[in-house]
Order: sequence, then C-alpha cells, then structure tokens
Amino acid sequence: MKYLELTVGAALVYNFVLSRFLGICPFLGVSKRLDTAMGMSGAVIFVMTLASGTTALVYRHLLRFTFRGKAYDLGFLQILLFILIIAALVQLIEIVLQKSSPKLYQALGIYLPLITTNCAVLGAATINAQNGRTVLDATIFGCFSGVGFALALLLFASLREKLELASPPKAMEGTPIALVTAGILAMAFSGFAGLC
Amino acid sequence: MMLGAIETGRILMAAALMAGAGVVLGAVIGAIARIFRVEGDSRVDLVTELLPGANCGGCGKAGCRDFAKSVVSGENPPGKCPVSTREQVGAIALALGVEVGEVAHKKAVVRCSGTLFTSDRVAYYNGIHKCSSAMLVGGGPKVCRYGCLGMGDCARKCPFGAIEIINNLAVVHEELCVGCGSCAAVCPRGVIAIVPAAAHVHVFCNSPEKGAQKRKVCRSACLGCGKCVRKDPEKFELEAGLARVKYSAPELPTAETVEAVGCPTGALAMTERHRQKASEETNAK
Amino acid sequence: MTFEGGIHPADSGKVLTDNRPTLTPPVLERYQVLLCENVGKPPKPVVNVGDQVGKYQLIAAADGFVSANLHSPTSGKVVKIGDVPGPMGIPAPAIEIEADGEDASAETFPGLAGWRDADPKELVKRLADCGLVGMGGASFPTHVKLSPPPDKKVDTLILNGAECEPFLTADHRLMLERPRDVITGAEIMARILGVDDVNIGIEINKRDAIESLETLAEGTKVKIIPLMVRYPQGSEKHLIQAIAGREVPSGGLPADAGCVVQNVATAAACTDAVLRGLPLVERIVTVTGEIVCRPGNWKLKIGTPLLEALRLAGGVTEEPGKIIFGGPMMGFAQRSLEVPISKNTSGILLLTREEALRHRSTSCIRCGRCVQGCPMHLASCLLATAIENGRWDLALQNHVMDCIECGSCAYVCPAHRPLVQLMRSAKMELRKKR
Repeated sequence: MKYLELTVGAALVYNFVLSRFLGICPFLGVSKRLDTAMGMSGAVIFVMTLASGTTALVYRHLLRFTFRGKAYDLGFLQILLFILIIAALVQLIEIVLQKSSPKLYQALGIYLPLITTNCAVLGAATINAQNGRTVLDATIFGCFSGVGFALALLLFASLREKLELASPPKAMEGTPIALVTAGILAMAFSGFAGLC
Repeated sequence: MMLGAIETGRILMAAALMAGAGVVLGAVIGAIARIFRVEGDSRVDLVTELLPGANCGGCGKAGCRDFAKSVVSGENPPGKCPVSTREQVGAIALALGVEVGEVAHKKAVVRCSGTLFTSDRVAYYNGIHKCSSAMLVGGGPKVCRYGCLGMGDCARKCPFGAIEIINNLAVVHEELCVGCGSCAAVCPRGVIAIVPAAAHVHVFCNSPEKGAQKRKVCRSACLGCGKCVRKDPEKFELEAGLARVKYSAPELPTAETVEAVGCPTGALAMTERHRQKASEETNAK
Repeated sequence: MTFEGGIHPADSGKVLTDNRPTLTPPVLERYQVLLCENVGKPPKPVVNVGDQVGKYQLIAAADGFVSANLHSPTSGKVVKIGDVPGPMGIPAPAIEIEADGEDASAETFPGLAGWRDADPKELVKRLADCGLVGMGGASFPTHVKLSPPPDKKVDTLILNGAECEPFLTADHRLMLERPRDVITGAEIMARILGVDDVNIGIEINKRDAIESLETLAEGTKVKIIPLMVRYPQGSEKHLIQAIAGREVPSGGLPADAGCVVQNVATAAACTDAVLRGLPLVERIVTVTGEIVCRPGNWKLKIGTPLLEALRLAGGVTEEPGKIIFGGPMMGFAQRSLEVPISKNTSGILLLTREEALRHRSTSCIRCGRCVQGCPMHLASCLLATAIENGRWDLALQNHVMDCIECGSCAYVCPAHRPLVQLMRSAKMELRKKR
C-alpha cells in the first residue's frame, strides 16, 4: 500500500506539475517540441531521483548527529543544504551534458540551470523530509515524481506540437491557448484522485 | 537570552557543516569539470550577443550564430551583416580586434507596377492565396507572365515587415528593407531584384515581351520605347522590350532624371511615386 | 473486382457522348504540334522552317532513351518552330505546320504481319520509331514502359479500359469501334514483355464494350475483367490492386509489383504501328459539356488547336466558366483558346460558370471523408494542415509524395478545401529540396 502511494501516487494522483503545480517553468518552457521535452524529462527524472536520495540521506543522518557526546539537531539547515546539493547536482549534469550531447545542451539552454531553482525538485526533497521517509522510500518517491513530471511534460509537448498547426483566434495564439490546454490537462489528471 | 555552550556549538557546527558541504561539492564539481572539459570558443557567444539577432540570413549564413562563427574564424568581416548598425559592427570589430570591412548596403525592389486596376487577369483564380500555389494553376491568373501576382509570399517571408501588398501588387518600403534577399528567394516569378540602397529610381516592369503586346494587357508596363536610353545612355540600357537602370553606373538616376525623360507609361519612376500610383484605384483603360 | 478507398463522383456526363460514334474532321489549316508534352526529354526537331513535310513524316527525333519521336499529323509546310500557349499555362515549344489540304502520306514503315514470331526487341524498336506514348494522360514513352529493367520481373500486363473520369468516353468509343485492334495490341505488348497473364480492365458501366471484347478475346491469352465503377479505378496502382491483387510499394512503380499497365488507346496505336507501320499522329478526343452545342467524340490530329475542336462541336450555347483538357477530376484548366491538343488529351470539357465557381473554402471539420475516399490511404486533412503551416517534414513523413492527385479528397470535402492544390504545392517544394 505504501509503495502504491510512492509510485502511482507520486506519478499520477499527486502529479507534481498538474496537481501540486510545482515546476511550471520548465513545463511551459521546454514543451514546444517533443524532442527537447524528452531530453528535459530525462534530465528531470535523473535530478529528482538523485536529489531526493541524497537530501534524504543528508536529512536523516547528517543533520541529526552526535559529536563528542553532544546531540546536535541542525534541522533548520534543511532548505539551505537541500538547495546547495541540488544546485551542485544540476551543475554536474550540465557539465556532463555539454560534453556528451552538445545538441541537447544547446536545445535545453537556459532551462537546465532553471531546474536548480525549480520548486519541483526542492519540493520533492522537502516533502520527503516532512514525511520522515527512509532513504529508499525517498528515492523511490523522487524517481516516480520525476516520471510523473516527465509524463505531464511529454503529454503537453505533444499537444503543443498539434496546437502549432491549429488556428485559434489571433488573441489566443501561442501562450494563451497553451495555458488553457494545461488547465484542461490538469482537470483531466484530477480524475486520478482517490486512486490511493 | 544568553549564548550558552550548546548554542555556540550549534552555530559553529552549522557553519562547519555548510562550509564542509560547500568545499566537498565544489571539489567534486571542479574535478568533474576538469574531466569533462569542452573546448569551445566563448568569442562566438560574445559576437552572437552583439549581433541584432534577427536570423534573417542576409549575410548568407544560417542565422546569427552561424555568422558569428564565420566572423570569429575570419571568413566574413563583421560588416557583412546588412542589419547591424554602424555602432554594432564597430563593437564587434573592437571586441575581436578585426577590421570592420566594406559593406555595400542593398535593398529589394519589386519591379512591377501591374496592380489590380492596371494589369489584366486571364481568369478568376479561386485557389490558395499564395503566389507559389497560383503558379501551379495555369501559370497564375495574370495575363502577363512576368509580373507580380500580389498574393504576398514575399510579404509573409520578410523578417522586417517591409513589403506591403497594395491593390494586388507587392511594394517594398525602402526605409524598412535591409536587403537580406529573403523575398527575392521566395518569389516564384523572379520579380524582386536586390539593388544598391542608394538607388531610388527604377523601371517597374519585368516583362521582356514586345511593347505592343505588353500594352494590350497592362497599362503601366514598360513599352521598350527607349526614350530613357536615348535621353541618358549612361544611366539606362535597353534589353529586348525592357529598359533597365544601370545600377553599376557611377551616377544613379534621380528625380530630375525621371522628369527629364518623361516615361510615357510611368514605368520609370521614383519608389515614392510608384507607391502612390499603386494605391490609385483608377482604371486607366 | 475493385480496390479500397475511392469515391463515386456524379456521372451524368457520359450520356452526352456515350453513343456518339467517332467522327473524323476535315483537314484544318494549321496544326501546332507540341514538342515537350511527354515525360522525359523533349525530342529535337529534325525539320527546319520552310520544309515540306508529309503525313507521318518524322519532324522531331527522340533525345535519349526516355524520349519519344514526333511525326507530322498532315502534309504541308513547316512555318514556325517556337513557343505557343501550352496546356500547362506556360508557353511550350511547338512545330507549326500549315496544311496543304492534301493529307498526303509520307513513307511509312512496313507492316509486320509476322509479329507473333518477331523478336520482341524489333517490336519495341517499331513502337519507339512510331513515337508511341501513353495515351491515358501520363504520356510516358511506351517503349520505355515495355522495357522494364532486368531486375524487375514482370508477369502481368494490364490494359486500362476503365475510363473512370466522368464525362469522358473516348476510350469507350475506341473499344466499341476498334475492338480487334485493342486485342491485337494487347497481344503484341504481351509478346514484347513475354507474359502470359494479359488483362483488360473495363468498368461495368460499359457493358457493350465488355461483351464485344469478350467475344473477340476468345481463343487468345487476353482476359476481359469487368471492374466495379469507382473513381479512380483507371489509376495504375488501383488497376493492379483490383486485377492482380498486388500493392505497388510506396514510392515504387508498377514494375515493382510485377505488372505493366497501358491504356487501351495505346494498345490500338500499337497495332497501327506494328501491323500497318503507322506512327501515332491522331487520337479520339471527347468534346463535351452541358453548354457544347454538339458534344461528341472526334478523331483529332495532334496539334489541333482548342478553338478548332470547339468549332467542330458547333460552338457553345453560353460563355463557358472553365475549359478543361482531360476530365473534371484530374484535367487542367486552360487559359487560352490557342492551346493545341497532344497525344494524351483524352477530352475537352466545358463547364458553366456555376459548375466551375468553387465555393469558398472554410475550416476543416475533421469529418474524415477525405481519409475514407483517398485511394492511397493518405490522411488528406492532416497533410493539408501540415502543408498550410509549411511543415514539409511532417508532410513528407505522412507520405505526401505518394499522392496521385486524383482529386477524390477535394471532391468529397464538405468544407471545399483546396486539397489537391495543397498536395501539389508540397510535392513541388519537396522536389525542389531533393
């Protein structure tokens, strides 16, 4: 039951983009084309999994420790430390990506460092901390949240590619119709409520 | 509130933890960066920043970034960009330490004056409103095979919005045109010519057919009468039934030249006057 | 027997000329024989201005393998070699001959009575010498079509007697008036290709033709196959699907499916060339339309100007809205009355202004009729949207190059979208990029 919540719950029922409304920036920014969306999805899943894992590790073992007999509870450093770790992770990914796939690197452009300040990744880490999850559970949760994000992103990218060929009224062309579509997609995903 | 031992310890521990984390992560990033180093030329990014960013292709390259690469490699002088202002070109040249280079500013001109009212149509065309599509249907609805079809392929292509369709005729607004050549490339009739920016007088006709034949189907065509050539052979030349301005001549024709020649159909005109005439809805039949 | 997809255009037009026997007009004053109306390189003129030529004399020689000879339709003098208004709307080079009224024959080829035992290569050469091209509309040089590359095994010959276009009856009259020539032509082609499976596909709305040909085909290899009435049954790929049950691969030719398809008129011309040694200089053309005074079928010489053909039909009762060379589905609208007919002009159709004036196109309503009707299984609405937005990559992905431009989609579209024009513009763009 717990694992159902961690997987299906994280991906569909409490979808980060469409139910929690976190990570809207890359969702709207990289979803113009399916191939960049796929690249971004991969990056986000990777970052979220790794970030959730490391932040959970740090939270459970590094922020509460005993040194020279004294117990220290540095839980208040949670946000600072999480951001530091996530920033470092994304920087690492950026460096590796620049070398391994320059085309994808150029296509993602500004959006790669934007994952750093992306509330989705920090959100996943904080939610894990809030629920006091073990490292394994946190990692699974992070991974499937990323999968849910990727799902929403890919769906939206496919829709936007089709929208490009449609002819809405002039005032709605571009971002307005995209936002309306995102709203309808969010409504659709609310149908998953009650699953777990 | 007094800072007890535990409090100071806590603060120190927190600071130590953050510092430690920073050092460790920094070291890791540094190491990875060293391993995964990518050789790139930051100058290309610098030049791309300094360029106007219109991606019009006027330089002959596929976009501003491509042009920046060619400038850094020395293939093109910065002045090759027809859109950049003098200041922008100067800034690029300064940044790279190269010469500005010669730039011959050009612009486009649609060499036809056959509007809906002055040029005959052979049939009612009821298909897709695009010049390239109209050409598929019997060569287009205009009787004249060389004239502008006026359905706006060029206007839609122009990245600067410099072309206006007036009464089914494309007219270039000189002040907005930079001579990138996108319009000329897309015109299926080849009516658009890229000429020196200093030229303001043109022969607005594109048909090499005999004057008498042209007269039957278009009231504003060039008759090939040769008046302009006879008046000023330095500035004009006659090819078959069509007069042309000699753009490579040392002196280009001016408003006075047009006055002095007195073209019978008005095909030879200043761009301003040509635009005015195109807007007229008279049927001079 | 039939194929998937296709439509049933309203065909009240064939009755106008169905039972009018083919008439032969008197010799006209001028004939403008077009040079480049066949697929491949245009032939090079071998006569000069001022030369006297006889009927059937060679006036332009094939330039290379994929090219066809051109012969004079009558005796007279060559008065001009230059551009005339062409059937595609652009000026086309032509040889203009001023007829002397005698219609005297120049020397023709000897008849090959023993063709049944003749070397196929000799027969192919005879067809090339006589300037035979596909008379169904594509104008592909026949000798090229009947010489498939050695790596393509051909085992079936199909003759197109379907005449699926509304209003046209030229092939129908041919089959009624020269059935023996059609059968012999089929046999000659079979001999050239070395095949035993010979079929003539005829739509069942031409019962009389089917019966008359069936009687004559008895005892020969030729089989008469009645086909269901459906447009575009006469298309090569769909005849193959209906008769041989095979599908030509995307981007491929009939030879890839082991078949060769020819028009029945080409077969009759084949008989003329082999048995009687006569080059191809004339064909049956249906001149029709509600506003034509005397619609009928005429045996016109190539190079007959459009205006003369209309005069033969007694003129028109009102100003035509559109003049089409070919049928209403795939024909080409003409912009000049001076355009001459050529070897592949099967009909001249005049439409009234009401018939010709198309409704204004509105938005696609995703009804799917175009998908249902497309004989090549393309999604025309999807392709149209992609093309309108300049997405040539999407269009290519969705097989726009397989479109045969039959017009089925545009015919059934309730929004009257200019689908065929969109497909043609996409094909033009993609060919430029190749």
